[in-house]
Amino acid sequence: MHYRFDIVIIGGGVVGSSIARELSRTTASVAVLERNPDVVDETSGRNSAVVHGGFAYDRGSLKAKLCVEGNRMMGALSEELGFPFVRCGKVLVGNTDEDLRTLENTIKQGYDNGASGLSLIDSAKLHELVPAVIGSFAMFSENSGILDPFLYTIHIAENAHENGVEYFLSHEVSSIAKKDGRHFISAGDDTFEADWVVNAAGLGAKAISDMLGIEGYKVIGSKGNYLVLDKTLGPLLPMPVYPVPSNTYMGIHVTPTVDGNVTVGPDAINTDDFSYYGVPADKMEYLRESASSLWPHINKKDVIRTFSGILPKWVDDNGKIQDFRIEIRDDIDSMAVNLIGIESPGLTAAVPISRMVFSMITERGQFQMKTDWNGHHDKPFRFSDADDKTLICSCENVTEEEIVRAIHNPLGVHTLSGIKYRTRAMMGRCQSGFCHMKIEHLIERKCGIRAEDVRYMRPGSWVLAGKMRECNGK
Amino acid sequence: MENRGIVVIGAGPAGLAAAVKLRRLGAEDVLVIERENETGGILRQCIHDGFGLERFGKSISGPEYAALLKSEAEELGIECLTGTSVLEISKDRTITAASPSGVVEIHAEAIIAAAGCRERSRGSIMIPGERPAGVYTAGTAQAYMNLYNRMPGRNAVILGSGDIGLIMARRLTLEGAKVSAVFELQDHPNGLERNIVQCLDDYSIPLYLSHTVTEIHGKDRIEGVTVSAVDGNLRPIEGTEKYYSCDTLILSVGLIPDNTILEKAGVEIDPSTNGAVVDEHLMTSIPGIFSAGNMLHVHDLADFASAEAEAAAENAFLYASGKLDTGRNLSVVPGEGVSHTVPGRITGHGPFTASLRVRKKERGKTVEVRQGGKILGYRFFPLVIPSQMISVDAEAAAGCENVEVIVR
Amino acid sequence: MKKIYTCIICPRSCELEADILPDGQVSVSGNGCPRGAEWIRNELSDPKRTIASSVLVEGGEKEIVSVRLSSPVPLRMIFPIMDEIRRVSAKAPVSIGDIIIRDVLSSGADVIATSSVLAKKE
Repeated sequence: MHYRFDIVIIGGGVVGSSIARELSRTTASVAVLERNPDVVDETSGRNSAVVHGGFAYDRGSLKAKLCVEGNRMMGALSEELGFPFVRCGKVLVGNTDEDLRTLENTIKQGYDNGASGLSLIDSAKLHELVPAVIGSFAMFSENSGILDPFLYTIHIAENAHENGVEYFLSHEVSSIAKKDGRHFISAGDDTFEADWVVNAAGLGAKAISDMLGIEGYKVIGSKGNYLVLDKTLGPLLPMPVYPVPSNTYMGIHVTPTVDGNVTVGPDAINTDDFSYYGVPADKMEYLRESASSLWPHINKKDVIRTFSGILPKWVDDNGKIQDFRIEIRDDIDSMAVNLIGIESPGLTAAVPISRMVFSMITERGQFQMKTDWNGHHDKPFRFSDADDKTLICSCENVTEEEIVRAIHNPLGVHTLSGIKYRTRAMMGRCQSGFCHMKIEHLIERKCGIRAEDVRYMRPGSWVLAGKMRECNGK
Repeated sequence: MENRGIVVIGAGPAGLAAAVKLRRLGAEDVLVIERENETGGILRQCIHDGFGLERFGKSISGPEYAALLKSEAEELGIECLTGTSVLEISKDRTITAASPSGVVEIHAEAIIAAAGCRERSRGSIMIPGERPAGVYTAGTAQAYMNLYNRMPGRNAVILGSGDIGLIMARRLTLEGAKVSAVFELQDHPNGLERNIVQCLDDYSIPLYLSHTVTEIHGKDRIEGVTVSAVDGNLRPIEGTEKYYSCDTLILSVGLIPDNTILEKAGVEIDPSTNGAVVDEHLMTSIPGIFSAGNMLHVHDLADFASAEAEAAAENAFLYASGKLDTGRNLSVVPGEGVSHTVPGRITGHGPFTASLRVRKKERGKTVEVRQGGKILGYRFFPLVIPSQMISVDAEAAAGCENVEVIVR
Repeated sequence: MKKIYTCIICPRSCELEADILPDGQVSVSGNGCPRGAEWIRNELSDPKRTIASSVLVEGGEKEIVSVRLSSPVPLRMIFPIMDEIRRVSAKAPVSIGDIIIRDVLSSGADVIATSSVLAKKE
């Protein structure tokens, strides 16, 4: 089919969807093309889920500026968009004189970047904050926090959709042609004709940039592996604990999640395979050993699963990691906004990034604002809201009603992983052992999908071969 | 909040047997809480026979065993709340549960926790490799086939030679799926010999001991596994990797007593079983809370889980009548050759029976229960294997030293 | 060819060595009692098995009902019996013990329901 939009955004993750949401304030027609079946399948759903303080980035960089802005607004944003966020603080733990100097410089850098709430604390105060930590002193960033990256991204996307943005999931862009000042984007079996194109494709951004004619960017993938620990460990970790940082890599840290699990990681290995998310055996052991010197409660028996994420890092010819690149290249295409290298702190900075893109676009044309734009998204329907509290997932206390509501989500995602990210079902100790079949059965019934057509995530991820006994007595 | 008599959590072979026993003992108010919409527990999906030989004198299937218990329970007028999941138990025995009518609070005079076990997952054994669909624990695959009429796949490889994995090898084969092989990490099979013969040998499915899956391949749906031989320390041996193509990986890598609610209540848990530490009365460290069946330690036969639950019922009844001898004075620990033993504590005031599993297969051994130099009980076994729970009766431990269970 | 078998008659679980001789006889050693020798001879000449499976249900609250054989049948009949089990369906309501296929393939065993399925409410 041939579609026509004023603005097409390539990439439906947290950045692409935030941009869509901002642009939906105007009366322009906006579409999001997302190559995966859901908006959280790549980097937006595979990260540390930390809201950064803004001290770890070079002075004057976009990363620093947009991170600090994002951090400041996160409380209000989480209220507006109904996603879990806890401003729990964070400690960067040190032991040596060199560590101390690094932390002092980090605090200075932070204040120069506009961050606040940074202080050096001694062992006593450190152990008051995190009794189980191993360390002599630390920098305490009281404004750092943690959020639920799935609900954050999904609620932004759903709100954009609510405000008129059309989402085309499972639409990977294969080519972009230009004619008469307009873009013709091929994605899936469809063509999208658009005045403006925004490249928010994350791991796919370099390829899209090339398609736009903006060539020459070098983007490497930095793969980070994580261990996920059982919820019994949550109470032992009131806030993220990091070792002394560098400007290129955060270090193996331990981070509580908003639901009470603990993640250990990430490490950082360069990769050019942007679709391989396996976690190698030696990395699992390395993570456990390395982080145990910081927080000694990492035991094999408490690991419920592992996962990995890949960050797109823009590097120069010497491999040095660059800042965010958010540009319009008038010499090549004056109606394309190109976002390259949106890695950490992209999650924290998503809305400030999107406001920057909003300004870049709207100052160049005649855009009218809607009068009925509503940026509010309800909090997720949870256990306490249900009348019938029969549980489908007893590990995470998810009722049938929550599952059914998640199945009927506005973006039309009907995969098992889509239900997982929206409800937390399947994320518990038993790792879907007891609820997988119940959820699959609900998807079949409520969506009218045959067993062999139900998917876990992407089109090739069939879950069942079919019925065992068919009606014709096969 | 409701005040009830004795509450049983779980309506499987343990829970139902306990409830029936309680009524037969004369307990007037017995309530069973079950999170599924039907009773029977895991028996509902265990359609193979082999159940009931001890308890009913005949070899029947899981659902039939459950139906017999269920009709006994119905005849005795035992109330059962289905679709009701226990969220929390307090130390004073107040149960908070999620039910079809909302959150309910029930105070019990005594509680028998018999909510079974869960399966060890891919995530928790951290098999490296990609995360495709098609990796199922044996119980999940069994539920799909036997309860939901769905085929998990058509070309499977099985990791783990426990009974559930073996049963599923046969089940899949009989339904026209290909089962290429069963791989077992240990150097001995985990399940009953009968099942090796009737589930693998009968269908020419090879069993490779001392092997494990070292990588999973396939981005969206599993395409194959890399299997390696392992050494004496169970570590993969470099250079022995072999690729097996498959569209399904069945994991039968361990059952873990599911004690989340007891842990939250502060009950002492035995790290070697993952079940509660109980005394010879099957009472946990919280007075009036008892545990039995697979939630206490994983059994080989449902019949024994039922028998253990009946013992818990006797003691729970005594407790509720104020007649139970409490006092957890001595520890009972697994010693040489013993993997774990239940009870983990005893009052020291009366005889008890140690139920245990040995670490390795041995012939012609005596298992002893000793307190220091004194032997409290012993039993000779022509053959002991880890996959078969055994028991040794012991007399009262008069001294004040801890008790040890060893293989001579 | 000599092979080792673990006897399943009693908990002694004797390890038997059994060898099918050219004349068809089976030589057994290592058995702790005569029952073991008898067991392995039967196993090697005409092993019998019982299986469990599922039968499609028409008009029931559930799609299938679990079934098993009422008595063991020769191993070689298992797959033909599975074909029969796949061919038939049972009309709801089904009760435990209902005979779904009587004397399946003249084996002497019935295919019996091991769970119950109520008729679907209209």
